[in-house]
Amino acid sequence: MQARYIVLCVLALSLGACSKFVDLTPISDATTGNAYQSASDAEAALTGAYDAFQQEYYVWDNINFTDVVSDNYYAGGDNPEIFALDLLNLSPVNSRLFNAWSQLYTGIARCNIILQKVPDITDPKLEANNRKEQILGEAAFLRAYHYYQLVKTFGGVPLVLEPATSADPGQTNIPRSTDAEVYTQIIKDLEFALSRLPDAYSDDASVNKARATKGAVNALLAKVYAQKADRDYNKVLEYCNAVISSPAGYQLINYNFLFDGNHYNNDESIMEVQYTGGAEANYGPQLLLPPSLSGDTWRKFVTPSKDLVKAFDDEHDNIRKNTTVLFENVTWTDEYWAIGGGSVPFAYKWKSASGWASTNRQYLFRLGDIILLKAEALNALGRPGDAAVEVNKIRARVSLPGVTATTKEAMQLIIEKERRLELAQEGQRWDDLRRYGRAETVMNGLNEIDLRTNQRVNYNMTKDKELMPIPQLERDRNKQLGQNPGYN
Amino acid sequence: MFIRMQKKVTLLVAFLLLAVIYAGAQDRTVQGHIKDQQGNALPGVSVAIKNTSRGAMTQADGNYSLQAGPADTLVFSYIGYLSQEVAVGSRATIDITMQDQNKQLNEVVVVGYGTQRKKDITGAVSVVGEKEFASRPNTQLGSVLQGKAAGVQVLSSSGKPSAGLNIRIRGTNSIGASSNPLYVIDGVPTTDTRSLNPADIESVSVLKDAASAAIYGASGANGVVLITTRKGKTGEPRFEFNAYGGYSSVWKRLDVLNASQYRDLMTEMGYITDWNKYNQNTNWQDEVFRKGTSQNYQLSVSGKNDKTTYYLSGGWVQQNGAVRSATMDRFNFKVNLEQKVNNWLTMGTNVAYSRWHDVDVTDNIGVDKGGVLLGALATPPVIGIYNPDGTFTSNPFQDWENPVASTDGAQRGYKQQRLLGNVYAEVYLLPELKFRSNFGIDYNNSVYDYFLDPFRTSYGRAKQGIGQNNTDLVNYWIAENTLSYNKTFGKHTIGALAGVVAQKTKWESASIEKNGFSGGSIPTTNAGSVFVTAQNTKSEKSNASFLGRVNYSFEDKYLLTANFRADASSAFGPDHRWGYFPSVSVGWRISQEEFMKGVTAINDLKLRAGWGLVGNDQLGDRRYAWLGLVGSGSNYPIGGVVLPGNSPSSFENRNLKWEATEQYNVGVDVAVLDSRLSFSADAYVKNTSDLLLNVPVPKSTGFDVSTQNIGKIQNKGLEFLVSSRNFVGEFQWETDFNISFNRNKVVDIVGQDIFNANVANRGSISLAREGEPLGVFYGYVAAGVDPETGNMQYLDKTGKKTFMPAADDRRIIGDPNPDFIYGLTNNFSYKNIHLSIFLQGSQGNDMFNASRIETESMIDPRNQSTAVLRRWKTAGQVTDIPKATPNNSDNSRISTRYVENGSYMRVKSATLSYDLPASLLNRIKLQRLRVYVTGENLFTFTKYTGFDPEVNYLGNSTNATEANTSMGVDFGTYPQTRNLIVGLNVSF
Repeated sequence: MQARYIVLCVLALSLGACSKFVDLTPISDATTGNAYQSASDAEAALTGAYDAFQQEYYVWDNINFTDVVSDNYYAGGDNPEIFALDLLNLSPVNSRLFNAWSQLYTGIARCNIILQKVPDITDPKLEANNRKEQILGEAAFLRAYHYYQLVKTFGGVPLVLEPATSADPGQTNIPRSTDAEVYTQIIKDLEFALSRLPDAYSDDASVNKARATKGAVNALLAKVYAQKADRDYNKVLEYCNAVISSPAGYQLINYNFLFDGNHYNNDESIMEVQYTGGAEANYGPQLLLPPSLSGDTWRKFVTPSKDLVKAFDDEHDNIRKNTTVLFENVTWTDEYWAIGGGSVPFAYKWKSASGWASTNRQYLFRLGDIILLKAEALNALGRPGDAAVEVNKIRARVSLPGVTATTKEAMQLIIEKERRLELAQEGQRWDDLRRYGRAETVMNGLNEIDLRTNQRVNYNMTKDKELMPIPQLERDRNKQLGQNPGYN
Repeated sequence: MFIRMQKKVTLLVAFLLLAVIYAGAQDRTVQGHIKDQQGNALPGVSVAIKNTSRGAMTQADGNYSLQAGPADTLVFSYIGYLSQEVAVGSRATIDITMQDQNKQLNEVVVVGYGTQRKKDITGAVSVVGEKEFASRPNTQLGSVLQGKAAGVQVLSSSGKPSAGLNIRIRGTNSIGASSNPLYVIDGVPTTDTRSLNPADIESVSVLKDAASAAIYGASGANGVVLITTRKGKTGEPRFEFNAYGGYSSVWKRLDVLNASQYRDLMTEMGYITDWNKYNQNTNWQDEVFRKGTSQNYQLSVSGKNDKTTYYLSGGWVQQNGAVRSATMDRFNFKVNLEQKVNNWLTMGTNVAYSRWHDVDVTDNIGVDKGGVLLGALATPPVIGIYNPDGTFTSNPFQDWENPVASTDGAQRGYKQQRLLGNVYAEVYLLPELKFRSNFGIDYNNSVYDYFLDPFRTSYGRAKQGIGQNNTDLVNYWIAENTLSYNKTFGKHTIGALAGVVAQKTKWESASIEKNGFSGGSIPTTNAGSVFVTAQNTKSEKSNASFLGRVNYSFEDKYLLTANFRADASSAFGPDHRWGYFPSVSVGWRISQEEFMKGVTAINDLKLRAGWGLVGNDQLGDRRYAWLGLVGSGSNYPIGGVVLPGNSPSSFENRNLKWEATEQYNVGVDVAVLDSRLSFSADAYVKNTSDLLLNVPVPKSTGFDVSTQNIGKIQNKGLEFLVSSRNFVGEFQWETDFNISFNRNKVVDIVGQDIFNANVANRGSISLAREGEPLGVFYGYVAAGVDPETGNMQYLDKTGKKTFMPAADDRRIIGDPNPDFIYGLTNNFSYKNIHLSIFLQGSQGNDMFNASRIETESMIDPRNQSTAVLRRWKTAGQVTDIPKATPNNSDNSRISTRYVENGSYMRVKSATLSYDLPASLLNRIKLQRLRVYVTGENLFTFTKYTGFDPEVNYLGNSTNATEANTSMGVDFGTYPQTRNLIVGLNVSF
């Protein structure tokens, strides 16, 4: 009978130990409360911020938003939303816009938490070599880079500069800042970064081209001052020169080496997205490369346009053409190149697909781009002769004859064409056309024939289409968000 | 000894029944045996010859004997049982089974932490018992409940053998948290019942209202399904063997373009190729659909003596689905034991082990992503299955492989081993005071293997093979200690219960993925050369609870039940951990009142009313929902070395707390005409507040959603249940009918629109919006094809026709919530032949046939349905199908064009069975032998044009928001199949 009373005691005891029992800490995740306490925590958060460069936007959607929408490439592939981009049939519900928007703000949020949390971390390792300030500088640069993508794509966007701590719509529904305000913030972040970042972290290029450096900050400042509405070519020139004369020693290299996959982190590279294969691999090349290189037989994306191929041919620019475009016989119909199969060009600046796991990269900045930007600044500042000197540096290495300066206007067109041939598939063309005020003329002047109908494609380019529509899905979530003109 | 005697007598009698004995006009001896429905002999039954004073009583063995003439009528009567009259005719032996007058009322129903007599129940409880189980073969619990219990909606998301069934009790209560009910198997709570063997189930109680479910406070908001497995009942060991086998097939085919029609369309769209290379004529539906097979074998033995009851069973079921490669098989073993140790201590255990294996097919996705069902429609007939080199063929214009590449291309399979059981002890401290301690576990180990060889498929070649191995371990335990007290003082009966419960779950999962295989002979990941993934994660959840209940009844007339439960959940922060869930319900058995005594037509009349509050903390994968998490894996290579990176992955919300559902229920139970006709009606209102909602936040925050307690949902409804024994006696006909009306409304979600079900790059279909039912369809209003241009027109918000509608021209275009659902079962039996016909249906719900977006859009080289033969071709043509527009989806936006009437009524099952007569059984020493044939989904009456109306594209989504807010969307979903089954039940 005593057993009965033992049982009663057990019952009484079990009443006690409840509150501890339901107090559980995550096993496989950190929390905002414990993730930012040491130098290694700060480094991990920063690595996470760099990882934003491996999102789809930076894998290849930036190419869709700059090269495919422009006269350089057709959509290729089978995605109606990318066909719509190519044909400048832009709709706010296009999910690629929303993805781009989301991914860029994800990158920004990763920077915001660093800029908020890292200053409060006390760890001797962060004080050594000014590391804490460097980390803040790297985060500020990355934030500026993402905002630059946003502002040039969408115009003014909401400026979010601190981690979101409350989901209260009063705090999250932020209206758009103006385009000028966003550029001001970008410049502020870049100046903050410039004073904190080194020219080089060590003599290891695979670090110096991965992390933000003074060279990268100067390069972005140059591009920002050129692209913003109230552009300042004196500043562009100043920052281009800072890159060109950087102690980091950037130099032009053999054009083929830039894209052969054997010269990563080369001397011309200022900063590039890092891929090393395995779990840190680039699936982009598989989407673009022809059957002989990708191993599969479906229709590939980002098909070089007739107009681009013609531009190479007109210039007899064989070196850059052969590095940028590869022709191959295919069985599928390409509505511009080959009905019922035939020879079709492929985007070829990436060379190996490696089964969706390539190490091929995109340059975030390279010296060739900055030299041509310098030429543009010199010409804009009324020095076409000096501009020609810069252009000819770029032409000389691909064995093209030099150009001679004539008028400023003619020189401008020369620079535009040079940038097109030099930087095709590198996410520059649309920005260039808009910067030069030439997007409407060029797009509406194209003579691209859809072979299925033998009709010329009408791109209907308008001033309004220079900006993409604000994604409808984001407007559904943020009631304060206005739309760009020309979209509904 | 007694039982053996009885059996002999029964067999003898049965044998005699078969013989036709000439009966003379004069009185002779008539004899027989009287038993109750449980088969026990009834002594003391009065057997009277009608209109005379002659008669007899049954003896202790239930037998009687008297003298009667062929014109006489015998009247059998016994207190508590229905009287029966039987004409003697030529018979010399008349055996009778007495029908318990109050059988239904005295039926004991399993309720939370105990049992109650049905007549004492004051809440809303549906019971599905052995009768329903016996009426047709089942492989899953959900299919047993479908259409059998009012207010219980079984949502089949597909017809796959491996698919689970989602159950909604009285509507969907939640958006961001689970809306599935809590299942309690012999006292062990669980959420997955796929591995449960229906043959082991004795009864299922569905606790529908808050008053019944509140004792499970923490997880009772969606209702509770209590499952009791079988126990030994008879002294003699009883063996049962059940087996069935059958075929299944897809009951409908859809018409697609043939080879020449496909060539015409492609040519019109500008897709030109050398057609001589593509001259096959493959019917992809023939290749993908097959005759499915099923087989099932179950053996059990059970028994009972003074101290021990036992039930042991083992079974195997295998189903090869009607879609190529889909299969499942399951082994089950079950042991239930209970031992009376002495006069105050009873101990017992219920243990179930199961081994499950299935091979899934990819559905709910387009041919471009390997969807099999849409692949069967959208793959052109002009190609064969294999290329000469053994690789799978693709669409001539795009590398979309044929659907057989998806079904046969990868070796894959899911295996699960599960041990679910408990041990318990019951200690009688006093005769009326019982202490019960119960410890249960649910240990679940599963492995998913996948291998795509580096040769046959395009994706496999590109990746040089893919090998995956995922393991999941779920370890759950529960410890319950309860004290209960039951006592009757004169006219007062009191029951009380108090207890504490602790439970904890730990999830552990690991996954490995490798690429780079040299060949196809080794399917395991060791043969791969490149790691894609190699990681594991762990998480936990715990709950602690105190519970209490009081039952009181006065003279069996006035009934009261009150519950209280306090729950703590680890999902919430320290300030909001505890939730308190009270409930109270009352009943009034009017039929027991003095003034009703004269009303003999009414056997029972009871009014019930209840109120209660129940909680929900089922946040799915978000086990630490209140914390702002920083996830790992945002790694990035710097300096040629991959550095570890992390990034914020969720919003912190220290104010996160219990979602609570307040429910009112009133009901009435009536039994009339000697309880041959019984009727129940319930009305309820459920208000769920503080919804655990994943509120979409602006992406500019860097997050997608924030988990918050926001908003309210209301479900209100009516349920009716009618049960009638239309004919009793030799020809028996019973009818059970239930019908449920539920109205769901999103009352408040702070003005948010929650979109879901994004298909085919056209945007989202399903919407949760204030003032509307959950999951309404949202899109454009199609306004026909413009005869001039052949393009689809839509209405803008002002009602004007436009080709390019704006996002804000979208409106609500359909509602997938049914007006009502119903089930009708008719059981007929004549002598040894039984026929059971079960109709089930859903009325007033819309379906969004998103498959038609894939098969009627004509934007790319997919094959299309024959509907596109009506496509616009020349100016002035009036038609309902727009022109082909390569690479442009403006003509196929989400619109009313794809909204269809989803109402259906189907003959869910029909079973014809035959029990072998006793004489034969005696010869082969069997107690019972039944053979039957069952047809499932024999006929379906619906206007829906897709494969099947009973599907749901996101029904099995593990994302609660998707599962709750997306209904009635068909996007290449594996259809329900028509099944024919032949089976055999034997007991000895």
